[in-house]
Amino acid sequence: MSLLDVKNLTKRYRRDLAVDHLSFSLQQHTATALIGPNGAGKTTALSMLAGLLKPTTGSITWDHTTGVGFLPQHPRFFPWLTALEFTEMAAKLSGVEAKKVRQQATRTLEFVGLAPALNKKTGTFSGGMKQRLGLAQAIVHQPELLLLDEPVSALDPAGRREIMNLLKSLQQDTTILYSTHILNDAEEMTDQLLFLQQGKLVEKGSLEEVKERYAEPRIRIHFQTAEDAGGFSRHMPWEAVQNGNRIDVAVTAKGPGMQEILTALTAAGDKVVGVERQTASLEDIFMKVAGGR
Amino acid sequence: MSQFSVLLQKEWRENVRNYKIFWIPVVFILFGIMEPVINYFLPQILDSVGGLPEGAVLEIPTPTPEQILVAVTGQYQFIGMLALILAYMGTVAGERKSGTATLLYVRPLSFSAYFLSKWLMASLIALLSLWLGLLAAYYYTLLLFDTVNFADFLRFAATYSVWVVLIVSIVLAASAALPNAGMAAAVSLGSVLLMQLVDGLIGAYWSVSPLKIPVYAASWLNGRIDLVDFWISIGLVAVVIALLLIAGIWASRLNASKAKV
Repeated sequence: MSLLDVKNLTKRYRRDLAVDHLSFSLQQHTATALIGPNGAGKTTALSMLAGLLKPTTGSITWDHTTGVGFLPQHPRFFPWLTALEFTEMAAKLSGVEAKKVRQQATRTLEFVGLAPALNKKTGTFSGGMKQRLGLAQAIVHQPELLLLDEPVSALDPAGRREIMNLLKSLQQDTTILYSTHILNDAEEMTDQLLFLQQGKLVEKGSLEEVKERYAEPRIRIHFQTAEDAGGFSRHMPWEAVQNGNRIDVAVTAKGPGMQEILTALTAAGDKVVGVERQTASLEDIFMKVAGGR
Repeated sequence: MSQFSVLLQKEWRENVRNYKIFWIPVVFILFGIMEPVINYFLPQILDSVGGLPEGAVLEIPTPTPEQILVAVTGQYQFIGMLALILAYMGTVAGERKSGTATLLYVRPLSFSAYFLSKWLMASLIALLSLWLGLLAAYYYTLLLFDTVNFADFLRFAATYSVWVVLIVSIVLAASAALPNAGMAAAVSLGSVLLMQLVDGLIGAYWSVSPLKIPVYAASWLNGRIDLVDFWISIGLVAVVIALLLIAGIWASRLNASKAKV
């Protein structure tokens, strides 16, 4: 079931098109990664979905009764409020029942790992703590749709891992749309990929679909020595890239086919110590999409 | 709990924890006390400063206690208003520019509750400061000069309170409408000075005007007031304040998309 439908969403700032006829749907309880280089329009698109920006044209259709949670890239808090006071205020303003506010705010802060800092003023928080509090204020009212703008890009690897784990645990009950330029994260938690480039949606699909579309599988052959690898590649009719004792052969429509490669490998005999099939990584695809259109 | 009460609580915490609830009254109390004290000790001050020719006699008429209290509002017309402008210039614009407003605007926020909670808290603190300042001035005037009819004093303070609320409304509407706190302060200060200048230069040509409120406040102590003109002017100020509030709510909603994300 589709939770959110976006059709021809466009945002124009005078001459600049920040978002250009963006259309996509989000299915319930899925995670969608919005990917693109800096300035691609990710934040503008998320701001429009969160209701912070009015679209120039286009439509956003979703069930408003379910609520939305939004985490900006750099969440900013009133430094004189404590984490609990801020989260309670967020809950109240989002319509959480008065008698449940304290319990829900406390539980949410514990969930994001801020239990020891409940009564600390947010002005004293580190970057990682702010990101956790930002997540807490976004989920305290248990929204059906969660919009996250670069939720982990400002964090160190350990902090990133923790927040990603939290998001994965939320995915069971929530629909998540998040922007990122950290492609490992996108590979880790995504049911759908949306590639934005200069405001336009240039690629869309599941991770497998996109990888399939951009697949240029390579065969990596490991030899005993670099000399063996060099000898093999010199006598091979196909283009290969040698790197030390290994060579990469691209398997394309023009050839070679798998059968031809296997025949050549059999001829090489015991000089070959290993063969592995490699597919395009998300980073390869990103570079193609970002650089090629 | 209504959004208004939630946001009012937030404003209260902000004003307490940013010490505005302490320093603004202190400014008003200091300038309230200063006027009677300086007037009382003026002869001694001039004597100690010296510089008068040998044998010169400087006759300084002793001001009446009513004149002292009116002079206090003269201090407030610039210093007091400046304190209020500096304290509240960033109320809306500052939140927008810093990005702290983003996490409020992303919710189903009532902009009426948002703006009015700010206006009410700023007005309450401004009025608390004004009344503490005027009561301090009244006490020192009583102590050092003579008594002033307390009922007249209350009318004087109440009338000047209307002027202070008008100024707070101007500052908050400017903060909602303009892109940053500096511009809001400049426009507010310019408006306050322009209003005083206009009434000072050509105010004699009209007797009914929102700009005349400080004059009416003083008139309660001078004993000369036209009640019909007074009430019409008060009514006009109420209309202007209402219009400023509507403009402030409208501008807050309109400019919400300019909040830093």
